[in-house]
Amino acid sequence: MSDATLPAPALHRGPRPPARSWRRHSGLIAGAGILAIILLSSIFANWISPYGPLEQNLRNTLQPPGWTHPFGTDNFGRDIFTRVLHAAKLDLMIGFLCVFFPWMLGIALGGIAGYFGGIADTIIMRIVDTFSAFPFLIMVIGIIAILGPGLTSLYIALTLAGWSMYARIVRAEVLVVRQSEYVLAARALGFGHLRIMFRHILPNVITPTIIFAMTDIVLVILSTTSLSFLGLGVQPPAAEWGIMISEGRGFILTAWWMVTLPGLAIVLVGLALSLFGDGVAKWLRERG
Amino acid sequence: MPDLLQVRNLSKHYGSNRSLLSRLTGAPAPRLIAVDDVSFSIGQGEIFSLVGESGSGKTTLGRTILRLIEPTSGSIIYDGTDITALDKSRLRLARRQIQMIFQDPFSSLNPRLTVRQMLGEVLHVHGIRPPDQINSRIAELLCLVGLPPDSIDRTPRHFSGGQRQRIGIARALAVEPRFIVADEPVSAVDVSVQSQIMNLLLDLRDRLGLTLLFIAHDLSVVRYLSDRVGVMYLGRIVEIGTRDQIFAAPRHPYTQALLRAAPRPDPAHRGTEAALGGEPPSPLDPPQGCHFHTRCPRATDLCRRVAPAPETVAPDHIVRCHHHDPAFA
Amino acid sequence: MAILDIRNLTTRIPTARGNLTVVDDVSFSVEAGECFGLVGESGSGKSMTVKSILGLVPAPGRVTAGSVHHGGRDLTKLPASAMAAIRGRTIATIVQDAVSALNPVYRIGRQIAEPMLEHGLVRSRTEARTRAIALMTKVGIPAPEKRIDDYPHQFSGGMCQRVVIATALSCDPGLILADEPTTALDVTIQDQILKLLVNLQQDLGLSLLLVTHDMGVVAQTCQRVAVMYAGQIVELVRTEDLFRKPRHPYTAGLLNCVPRLDGPARRLNPIPGAPPDLASPPTGCRFHPRCPLATEACRAGNPALREVAPGHFSRCIRQDALTPDMWEAADA
Repeated sequence: MSDATLPAPALHRGPRPPARSWRRHSGLIAGAGILAIILLSSIFANWISPYGPLEQNLRNTLQPPGWTHPFGTDNFGRDIFTRVLHAAKLDLMIGFLCVFFPWMLGIALGGIAGYFGGIADTIIMRIVDTFSAFPFLIMVIGIIAILGPGLTSLYIALTLAGWSMYARIVRAEVLVVRQSEYVLAARALGFGHLRIMFRHILPNVITPTIIFAMTDIVLVILSTTSLSFLGLGVQPPAAEWGIMISEGRGFILTAWWMVTLPGLAIVLVGLALSLFGDGVAKWLRERG
Repeated sequence: MPDLLQVRNLSKHYGSNRSLLSRLTGAPAPRLIAVDDVSFSIGQGEIFSLVGESGSGKTTLGRTILRLIEPTSGSIIYDGTDITALDKSRLRLARRQIQMIFQDPFSSLNPRLTVRQMLGEVLHVHGIRPPDQINSRIAELLCLVGLPPDSIDRTPRHFSGGQRQRIGIARALAVEPRFIVADEPVSAVDVSVQSQIMNLLLDLRDRLGLTLLFIAHDLSVVRYLSDRVGVMYLGRIVEIGTRDQIFAAPRHPYTQALLRAAPRPDPAHRGTEAALGGEPPSPLDPPQGCHFHTRCPRATDLCRRVAPAPETVAPDHIVRCHHHDPAFA
Repeated sequence: MAILDIRNLTTRIPTARGNLTVVDDVSFSVEAGECFGLVGESGSGKSMTVKSILGLVPAPGRVTAGSVHHGGRDLTKLPASAMAAIRGRTIATIVQDAVSALNPVYRIGRQIAEPMLEHGLVRSRTEARTRAIALMTKVGIPAPEKRIDDYPHQFSGGMCQRVVIATALSCDPGLILADEPTTALDVTIQDQILKLLVNLQQDLGLSLLLVTHDMGVVAQTCQRVAVMYAGQIVELVRTEDLFRKPRHPYTAGLLNCVPRLDGPARRLNPIPGAPPDLASPPTGCRFHPRCPLATEACRAGNPALREVAPGHFSRCIRQDALTPDMWEAADA
């Protein structure tokens, strides 16, 4: 990694803060650490594991966890460890993208509503109200039902169901920041709307949205696995934790590892994301 | 002195949002008259102060002059041009001439930008210097306002209130304006810092030939800085005069009360009676006639019915009172 | 007989930057029936002194040394329950922002009556209501019988401050701590409230500890005054003597940089520099980096508050070199 990717040095506030600050951010570090391990393992899955995620071996079905298959095999003889690793890549990517797209859409619309007010505000907020009226999963299932199951439908459905909350948060923050004297000063200095929006308002309203997004990622991943479990999200034979649990349903008593181990992966990722998200939120709040 | 700014019959009304019910029943819309038919002028190189308490409309008036708030009626003539009539692009050019300094040092600077970014942005957007000269100009501006050069890459959180005010002043000066509206720039800082900032403003006026509209509520600050003073009450200017006229020979009872009410650092003279009783009326429901009659010791029936017209009592000294009197009531 | 006797009070707050000594060895006393002023700029420690007296220093800060004697007891050694019985009962507080000091969801009558009921001074709600109306009349709220059932948002800033004063008087305290009670108010309302406080203080024989940054307020209300700088008291004397002949360069500097309403308009000479960072205050006298009279002795020693003239205490070792035009020479 080059110097360009290193974070900027801490603002000098006099004597260096004591090393105690690492302990204060222990959640952030722990969460980041676990996530890093999971992410790296999934990226380098092909190097870690000799098996492919879709590689069947019908002579080796339903093997319990052992040396050759650390997580055992499923009813098609596929190595569960490999599938869990590859699934991590898919689930994390969906989690990230299906928070990123609503975040962008919400900021754009919420920002316009808050900054310009008037008729734009009214129209956008009524649309937000409409979208908010539907329970999250009902809307997602409904959209997938219309578009047909599949990965693309999943992306579209999760984005449409999730953006309205961001729009509300951003609009509320923009309404406040718009009144501050430095925005007034920017107007007095003759800056145009775009500059004021991107340079002066948005950087000061982003923080609550990031804090919210951190909790949202966990919810999105859980929704993804749930939907895939129901057959509405990612489709088999792709490796995805929800699908794996669904496929293992019939074998719970005989091959518990098919259900339990992907489930534990979900728990671990959820925990790591929660730790990381709370840690980021705490760090942002302290940074002011 | 030729007048740089002339404000004529400027008003700003806010129509409160009417509920559906009141629209249907035809009930009259409540209106807040923040600035009521205000006229005054400021000469080139002059420091003119607007003084008043909260609700007087002085801040609204200051922002309206920059068209940060659009006036409801009246005209603002800057250097011969009526800026209320300007379109967006010409207004942007005019904004290089008239700038503003704000009251609260903690919310008048973008917390995310460094001093270099703040000042550089202004220089860049208005093309005041070519890119290779921006840094040297920033250094000059910092020196002008008395900030150390190593401030340049710090964000506002590293600065004290007084230093932030200086940054705000540097930002306003970056466009090289001729006229600055200073909205209570020393109200939110300590006394020792206040005197530093006041002297800085006086120096800048002398060195750069600026003209200043100074908005304040503290009369002693106003006396120190101003050449001329306007006193506002509930949206109207009740008295205008030179500094000496207002402080040595005020004629409006409100001006006299303001002067008596200010606590003097003089233990030998302690009053027991408050200078002015009563509460300021709500701007949503101002009294009929003279706004001040509800608290005025000289109020008569005439005052309750008829709003006084401006009356010139001496050269440059105008009062709006039916019973103005140089003797302290 | 002193109603409040503070000796060597020290309060420290640990922060990421280090230990801040926000109140440093502060000693003074407030006599019965006296109005005592504590004056200083922001960061001088005046508000923290009040909080330390009340036992309300925000964690992780705490009083680390000294004593506060009141009613025969040392308040710094009392348990929380005993302090709670004193707050509002024998020592009442008036804060700066009256509007947010009042709970917006309760009627003001209830808020005025609450301390009396809480501390057991009245036996019934009716009696509390009668007393509350009497108090509202005393503080100058018109039509109290009608307004007693109003909510805080129906009052203006000045009226809210009167309600706060009435609440403070609710239990007949002997001492009122007023922390910048008029700073947030307009000048004509400030004048009304200050006159009210002084008149009440004299009528009821109360003691008043008035914290402010405004020298004019001090001059108009207080009998004695202590000037604070960087957590320390630098000068302590009767008010007339402070203004007639200050004996500390900071006080002289403050008086010099306040613009006047009377007298000839003269150029102000601001005190150069800024107050010190409490995490690493200057060695020796805290004011020496900004002082035109500073010498080596000022940098080295740790000047104590001593009586330099009858009843006049100063921390400055060079105070006899103070001249009326001293600050004229030190140009900004």
